[in-house]
Amino acid sequence: MAKETGWERNSDPLGIWEHRGKVAMVGRGHSTTDRRWDGESMDKTLGAYSLVAAQNAMEDAGISPDEVDGIISSAGGQANGQPLGEVWAPRPYFDPPYDSEDGLSHVTAEWLAKQLDLKNVTYMNSHGDTVWNLIGQAAQAIGDGRATVCLVTYPNGNMAGRYHQESSLEASGNAQWSSPWGWGLSGQGFTFDQYCRKYGSNHDRMAPFIVQEHKNGRLWPYSYYALHEPEPFTEEDYLNGRMIAKGLSIFDCDRPVQAAACYVVTTAERAKDMKQKPVYILDHTESAFRPRSLVQTLDDTEEWTDIQAKRAYAGSGLTPDDIDLFSPYDGFAVFTQYFLEAFEWRGVKRGDAHDFYAGDISLEGPNPLNAGGGNMGTGRMRTVFITDSMEQLQGRAGPRQVKGKAEIAVTIGVLPGNAGCLVFSSTPD
Amino acid sequence: MPRPIPVPDATSKPFWDACNEKRLIVQHCTYCDRKQFPPEPECRECGWHFHLSWLETSGRGTIVGYSVTYESRIQAWHPEQPFNNVIIALEEDPVINFHSNLPGVPVDEVPVGATVEVEFLEVTDGQLIPEWRVVS
Amino acid sequence: MAHIDEYIEKRTVTMAILLSFDIDGTLEFGEPPGGVTKEMVQRAHDLGFIVGSCSDRALSSQRAIWKQLDVPFAFVKAKHQLGTVKGEFPADAYYHIGDRDTDVQVAEQAEFGFWWDHEAVSEPWLDL
Ligand SMILES: [Zn+2]
Repeated sequence: MAKETGWERNSDPLGIWEHRGKVAMVGRGHSTTDRRWDGESMDKTLGAYSLVAAQNAMEDAGISPDEVDGIISSAGGQANGQPLGEVWAPRPYFDPPYDSEDGLSHVTAEWLAKQLDLKNVTYMNSHGDTVWNLIGQAAQAIGDGRATVCLVTYPNGNMAGRYHQESSLEASGNAQWSSPWGWGLSGQGFTFDQYCRKYGSNHDRMAPFIVQEHKNGRLWPYSYYALHEPEPFTEEDYLNGRMIAKGLSIFDCDRPVQAAACYVVTTAERAKDMKQKPVYILDHTESAFRPRSLVQTLDDTEEWTDIQAKRAYAGSGLTPDDIDLFSPYDGFAVFTQYFLEAFEWRGVKRGDAHDFYAGDISLEGPNPLNAGGGNMGTGRMRTVFITDSMEQLQGRAGPRQVKGKAEIAVTIGVLPGNAGCLVFSSTPD
Repeated sequence: MPRPIPVPDATSKPFWDACNEKRLIVQHCTYCDRKQFPPEPECRECGWHFHLSWLETSGRGTIVGYSVTYESRIQAWHPEQPFNNVIIALEEDPVINFHSNLPGVPVDEVPVGATVEVEFLEVTDGQLIPEWRVVS
Repeated sequence: MAHIDEYIEKRTVTMAILLSFDIDGTLEFGEPPGGVTKEMVQRAHDLGFIVGSCSDRALSSQRAIWKQLDVPFAFVKAKHQLGTVKGEFPADAYYHIGDRDTDVQVAEQAEFGFWWDHEAVSEPWLDL
């Protein structure tokens, strides 16, 4: 199926979304979470995990496979359609359905429909993007009437071996402007260095935020840490983290994992008959920017995130005071402050994020930032942002349920330079 | 050390050729009066390609910030770890940035705000890349 | 294991030797699991080696691994802090055992001897 274009809500000035409150999220399903795929266990492939997630999501929503008429999947997990982890090639493929990358390093809608034997699917899209954009796309497709009951799957893979190593001595394409100087993750370190200089802060002031995210993430059953490293993560742990780049330690980078999630998105009308309390989508907005020159500067970052916040507020008709739960992406952890300050959630202005972190950001307090624990607290699967927002609004977040009001949730990810923003509500208006 | 060598393409070739003549050039859109780096097939502002020309720069700039790489994904850089990753803003247009490792400056002792001047470093036979050194 | 029993009988500890173990890819309780078993670490401890871990795991997580190993440990360190054990534990020789280039690098920087995980399974420290 051809790549669908033009669905994004990204031209300023944006008005209120035409389908505000008419589309809802109902069910969510997850696979378990592993550190990586061992290359042998066929019941633990990305495809197998996507199937488990899809079945769990349908069961959660109380629907049968025959009710599904749309599937949106991320071909790989990244905005460019590439897998988030490594590809399986050049290693030999397996018997069907694992006779190509599909099902191993990425999982298309077509692959899922076939394996799940979904007979009534008329809308399929393997657009290839991050989970925020996929849900935005599903919301638009359902609002526009292209589908009624849509599965949105988001697989995140990690193969054995080192993650994203570059061995070539030939720097071609974009790499010609960066690799000759060894530029890489130093990019995030550089932007953060500018931030700290401008606002007088430092890396260690991130500690309360990271520790809180780990604490929240330990309470989410699918978190890599809840499953495999349940002991509490402390400030001592954070402050002793090895630096990958100046300003960016291993505990500011999310840990790659192998996991899949799936969501059931449908019309508000249809959602009423399903098993879970509907979570209404008030708005979706998308944005993609490019640095003015060679690298992403703090100026770029602040300009981009300001536009993202403006779009989300214009599209939903809400103000910062309306947001009960705010979950800005954190993988790298430094992203969160740029989003937080742009959205001015709880009145946080430019340069204030680290002071805010030093206050009460617990689940019990008035400012439950990233109540699900973000990627730092759960691993690099990116789906806790969606699942936790849903569960909080549905009142079924269990030990993570915030003490305060949980009626409006906003989440944005993944990059300051390329993001989807979703506004969820417990009521359609 | 053997480091990744830039592979020029149709758009970038004039830049890399100029480096080999020890000249630092950037694209200039005469229609928008706007400098552009890295080079692109069209001007990002007006979208036209035929207003784009190349402009020789002053070769001077300011250090606007930096990071230090302790663990690179680029294997060729592993023996150099840790090393400085410095961002330079061009004197006549601070929006335009360049990379530098600031040779000779100790790791994590980068003088942010200092003035720098371009020099050229041979990374392989016949290919120079811009590098920078502190002048004040 | 007969040769090891023999060895243990004959051994008289004359030198203080410190062994630092990486965890993931090195110890059997790592992720991925490595070849160095609880028995090997236990034996080293019982023979008087100073044992501890130096890993990218959070310090809390390293302590949890030692609890799982059920071996008394002298230290846990983040990988870039390997050198600091020298000040804390005077010894005649220091070794780090790991499975990655980073392990080699930190061992070199801290002036430790180094064994790869696959070399470590034959317990080369017993020959010191
Ligand atoms: Zn122009």
